[in-house]
Amino acid sequence: MSIAKGPVAPGNAGSPACSRQENGTGRRQIMLKVVDLYKSFGGIQALAGVSFTVEKQSITGLIGPNGSGKSTCFNVISGFYSKDGGEVYFEGQKIGNLKPFEIARGGIGRTFQIAEAPEKMTVVENLLLAPKDQTGEKIFNVFFKGTKIKQETGEFLKKIDEVLNLVQLNHLRNEYAGNLSGGQRKLLSLARILLFDPDLILLDEPTAGVNPTLINDLVEAIQRLRDERGKTILLVEHNMRVISRICDKVIVLDSGIKIAEGTPKEIQNNEKVLEAYLSGSSKKQLFHEDTGS
Amino acid sequence: MAFVNFLVYLAIMMGIYGILSLSLNLQYGFTGLANFGQVGFFCLGAYITTIITLTFGLPFILGLIISMVVAGLFGYVIAIPTADLKEDYWAIVTLASAEIVRMFFLNEDWVVGGGVYRGGAFGVGGIPQPLKSYFSAQSYPFFYFMIVLICLIATYLIINKLTRSPYGIVLKSIREGEDRLAQAMGKDVKRFRLKTMAVGGMFGGLAGCLWAHYYGFISPRQFLPLETFIVWAMVIVGGKGNNKGAILGAVIIIIFYHSTRYLKDYIPVEEVTLASLRMVAIGILIVLVMLFMKEGIIKEKKPVY
Ligand SMILES: Nc1ncnc2c1ncn2[C@@H]1O[C@H](COP(=O)(O)OP(=O)(O)OP(=O)(O)O)[C@@H](O)[C@H]1O
Ligand SMILES: [Mg+2]
Repeated sequence: MSIAKGPVAPGNAGSPACSRQENGTGRRQIMLKVVDLYKSFGGIQALAGVSFTVEKQSITGLIGPNGSGKSTCFNVISGFYSKDGGEVYFEGQKIGNLKPFEIARGGIGRTFQIAEAPEKMTVVENLLLAPKDQTGEKIFNVFFKGTKIKQETGEFLKKIDEVLNLVQLNHLRNEYAGNLSGGQRKLLSLARILLFDPDLILLDEPTAGVNPTLINDLVEAIQRLRDERGKTILLVEHNMRVISRICDKVIVLDSGIKIAEGTPKEIQNNEKVLEAYLSGSSKKQLFHEDTGS
Repeated sequence: MAFVNFLVYLAIMMGIYGILSLSLNLQYGFTGLANFGQVGFFCLGAYITTIITLTFGLPFILGLIISMVVAGLFGYVIAIPTADLKEDYWAIVTLASAEIVRMFFLNEDWVVGGGVYRGGAFGVGGIPQPLKSYFSAQSYPFFYFMIVLICLIATYLIINKLTRSPYGIVLKSIREGEDRLAQAMGKDVKRFRLKTMAVGGMFGGLAGCLWAHYYGFISPRQFLPLETFIVWAMVIVGGKGNNKGAILGAVIIIIFYHSTRYLKDYIPVEEVTLASLRMVAIGILIVLVMLFMKEGIIKEKKPVY
């Protein structure tokens, strides 16, 4: 178990301790379990009792109209916002009260909807930040373990090359991140999370502002993360084509409430979902255009 | 000869302030910590070494080490309540802690014993100068300059090594990312801030120690918040986020500060007016640099991989 300080959840019914076993449908183990999550900002109820699970080695989509609470959900899971109520379990452990960096070290990595791009750090520096538990992060080691640090950095740089090729940012490797375009920043944050290498990856609109051909590459890369490297992904995305192409399961939020859950197909034909997205005439049109099916 | 003495004096000041400037540059230039209490570390270093060498009669080297350790600890401790807060709070808390240090030595005159005066507002005199007896009065400043220079070079090498390491990359991400980025990458931002305040504080203490043994006399009046302003001017003018810039800034501001001394030979102003004119001059210099060289004279270096 990777999270250091989290107390173990009680093993009563419905707790992750019990859901770790294979359930009736023969599906995978549960990695993340969100139970009855509440969060409000002043008068706005951003999350009003949201519960869902994310299975190991799956890609789960989290969709919903603007302002439905998706990013808030990410922020609560990753510890950046404190929750008003409910609990989050990761690999069976309560993580609801841990600090963001503890959750990150425990194995949950995330990207931000508005991509972080430190103005005065180059693309490579951004990526050198990512690997966990680096020898050179300790002052003592900086002065007394120089060779080990050098060797580590060399290895990181090799991986960075691979990842930069994937997101097609290699030509900008020594550019300040502050000079990247919006889409390039998105790609950089995706690259960063790949190097950070968490077990559970929360991606907040990774393809927003990215050009269509590159989106295809990214989608394939995300799929490979699941299939070849056994990663689990929770994905916020407005692009329905992406959602229906790669998600094993989709959760739909509206006004802080889960209104539907199911396979991409099931979701597309769900009246409630269509209602939420388009209160009015041209309901089905949007979906069907987007899925391209 | 008088002019040569003055030059050596200037060089020593440049060295001591260069150390202060490097230290602030680590905290502000690289980590984004708005330390408005740099003079607090300076003051603490000066007093601690005085207590060690004068009151207890221990050797200079012990005074140097202990003043660094105490100032470093002080930096760590004052950062604890603020480590999770935004820049404005840092400014206030650090400013206040520097004043607390100064007030402490102003009011608690029992702390420092021995010497010509006994602490408090009178200051403390007779602080021993290391290896003084081996040199003539004329040549000692040259020797002391060598000590300062060695300390400056060591400070530069250490801080430069830190800022170029993976540790330094985390510091930069804290500076740029408002915590979010570093936290999301699993870095314990609070710890990094505390450690950086401690390391910066250590070198602030070193500068204070060198100052005390150079003058041989210290008093709380030497450690007014204005000193912090001067160090900030050095970092901003020289180039924040660049260690060579921090030293260059110290050199420039010290020249600026002391050249006004000769102004009275050219324009009819009184000594007192001149003292305040110095600050005006430094203010103008900062404004000019901000207008025409936003990032300071030497820009932050972009590492190429
Ligand atoms: N830090 C905050 N302070 C105040 N209100 C907030 C904050 N964060 C989110 N909200 C509010 O909570 C609601 C949900 O926002 P959230 O960002 O979770 O939506 P979202 O589903 O991610 O939308 P989008 O698809 O547009 O990104 C919104 O009404 C928003 O205004
Ligand atoms: Mg959002």
